[in-house]
Amino acid sequence: MSTASAPLLRLEQITKQFKGVTAVDGVSLDVHPGEKLVIIGPSGSGKSTLLRTINFLEVIDEGRIWFEGRETGYVRRHGKPHLERQNVICPVRAEIGMVFQHFHLFPHLTVLGNVMEGPLTVQKKGKDEARETALAMLAKVGLSEKKDVYPATLSGGQKQRVAIARALAMRPKLMLFDEPTSALDPELVGEVFDTIHGLADEGMTMVIVTHHMGFARELADRVIFMEGGRFVVESTPAEFFSERLGNERIRSFLNRLI
Amino acid sequence: MKRICSRVLTALLFLWITAASLLAAQVDSEELFRQANELQGGGDLAAAVQVLGRVPSPSAGGDEEDFVRSRMQIARIKFSMGEFDQAEGAAQEVLRLFPANSEALNFVASVKTEKKPRYVTFLDDCRRFLPHLFKGAGMTLLLMVCIMAISPLGGLLIALGRISHFPPLSACCWFIIWLFRGTPLLLQLFFIYYGLPSLGITLRPFTAAIIGLGLNYSAYLGEIIRGAILSIDHGQMEAAKALGMTYGQAMRRIIIPQTYKRLMPPVANEFIALIKDTALVSTIAMVELMRAADQMFNTYFNVTALILAAVIYLAFTTLFTFIFEKIEYRAGIYEHR
Ligand SMILES: Nc1ncnc2c1ncn2[C@@H]1O[C@H](COP(=O)(O)OP(=O)(O)OP(=O)(O)O)[C@@H](O)[C@H]1O
Ligand SMILES: [Mg+2]
Repeated sequence: MSTASAPLLRLEQITKQFKGVTAVDGVSLDVHPGEKLVIIGPSGSGKSTLLRTINFLEVIDEGRIWFEGRETGYVRRHGKPHLERQNVICPVRAEIGMVFQHFHLFPHLTVLGNVMEGPLTVQKKGKDEARETALAMLAKVGLSEKKDVYPATLSGGQKQRVAIARALAMRPKLMLFDEPTSALDPELVGEVFDTIHGLADEGMTMVIVTHHMGFARELADRVIFMEGGRFVVESTPAEFFSERLGNERIRSFLNRLI
Repeated sequence: MKRICSRVLTALLFLWITAASLLAAQVDSEELFRQANELQGGGDLAAAVQVLGRVPSPSAGGDEEDFVRSRMQIARIKFSMGEFDQAEGAAQEVLRLFPANSEALNFVASVKTEKKPRYVTFLDDCRRFLPHLFKGAGMTLLLMVCIMAISPLGGLLIALGRISHFPPLSACCWFIIWLFRGTPLLLQLFFIYYGLPSLGITLRPFTAAIIGLGLNYSAYLGEIIRGAILSIDHGQMEAAKALGMTYGQAMRRIIIPQTYKRLMPPVANEFIALIKDTALVSTIAMVELMRAADQMFNTYFNVTALILAAVIYLAFTTLFTFIFEKIEYRAGIYEHR
């Protein structure tokens, strides 16, 4: 089956084990430009691990990864993948933005400093140019007026929006979100959703892990249900949420969420 | 034979006559001392002084020892009566005949200090000791500042080596920490200054002191810095990597700057200890504050030298504690809401 465009990201038979526990078990996945992919599944099913293999925060045991049509990240020795050196890995990571459940803002830098950090240090841009980019990203997430404060003074929702701006400042081709709203108070979830929604409307390619079904239904082009390190179901949201029936596990999972 | 006998007899006779006349003179003085002691015991000090004054001076044929003894006793009695001028006069009488007599010299000196108020004596001591102590304190300060500049860098290198994933480097840094934390600093200094020459390496005291203190403090700070780096949330490194930073960039821009605040209290502690540990280099021929104080104390046997050195050390520790507190506050400014 071929889609109009070549995939931006292709995972092939990815396997990742932790001391005998198989967290990701032979998963293959194509993500096309502009696509919004939502991964759901019970705790421990390997969603985070899979997401982290995409930007090499987890080193895979088996499989291949392509980014922008080129196989990347690993050299093969005796048929096994070995992670490449930093000079190969870092430029790929720089093109992939990641947003963590617990934000991981840099506490010693101001909000503006956080967002400028990538362009300054990684892209080696000048201070003025980095600043301009950062201010534009902060405006996009609606936090221009917070630029000079330190992260400690922000609410959870604001922190996550700064984290999104920090990733966007690198002008990534792909955004990864690992449960971006799970650490937030319910009343703060909306502002982060709206921000991500805005990005989606601009055509950003993204892979989102979330437990929020409303969000998945609204945003996703494709929903993947993961369990035991494998893709159990892969379908459109309309199918996924109407059908349900097909899979006993999905039904009980969704019922528990509601 | 007969002649020899008669010569010996003549000599003995002469000896006997000389001894008898000497004894006669002594008995005379002894009697005066006895009377004086009796009067002194009875509380009649003035009379005692008068009796002692009758002990003749050597120029009048008196015994030297008795003369000195009597005049010094007069001096002490006058001193106890608070008549310092007369007390000094009696001692001066001795010095006129025996200018090197140490008992009289010390007495005159102590009369002089007694005649001055205490604080004046103290100020005199300060004036006498401080120039030398300040010179020593300058060296102590120089040592401190050098080590405070060197050891954080050395410590950072050791810490980064220790947490590197390159086993030989990590093992090497472990060994340095193990060696320098596990042996006394004094021994390390001795080895570097007195031991290395036998291996053909001769160092000047200052170089030896800098190397010894530098390595020792780098090892201690290395462990502190390593702990601080490991205490930073792992998510920080992941976020930095996710932006595309190399390990070095992440360390330099993200991880290490966050350790500053956590580092300040234990590092300040080490540096306060350093101020005092610099005293150890006095054992390898360095003249710093401790050595300077020791020299003054041994020359004048005056405890003021030690007290002044303590005050200077306290001034240093207080000053640096204050500076470190300021830096700690600045380092953690991003945590203040
Ligand atoms: N660093 C690690 N060391 C050992 N085991 C790990 C590690 N990370 C994940 N695992 C294991 O791998 C499996 C998958 O974990 P993962 O975090 O990917 O699940 P998840 O789907 O993201 O769960 P959750 O919804 O709770 O975030 C789990 O069994 C987990 O215990
Ligand atoms: Mg997870």
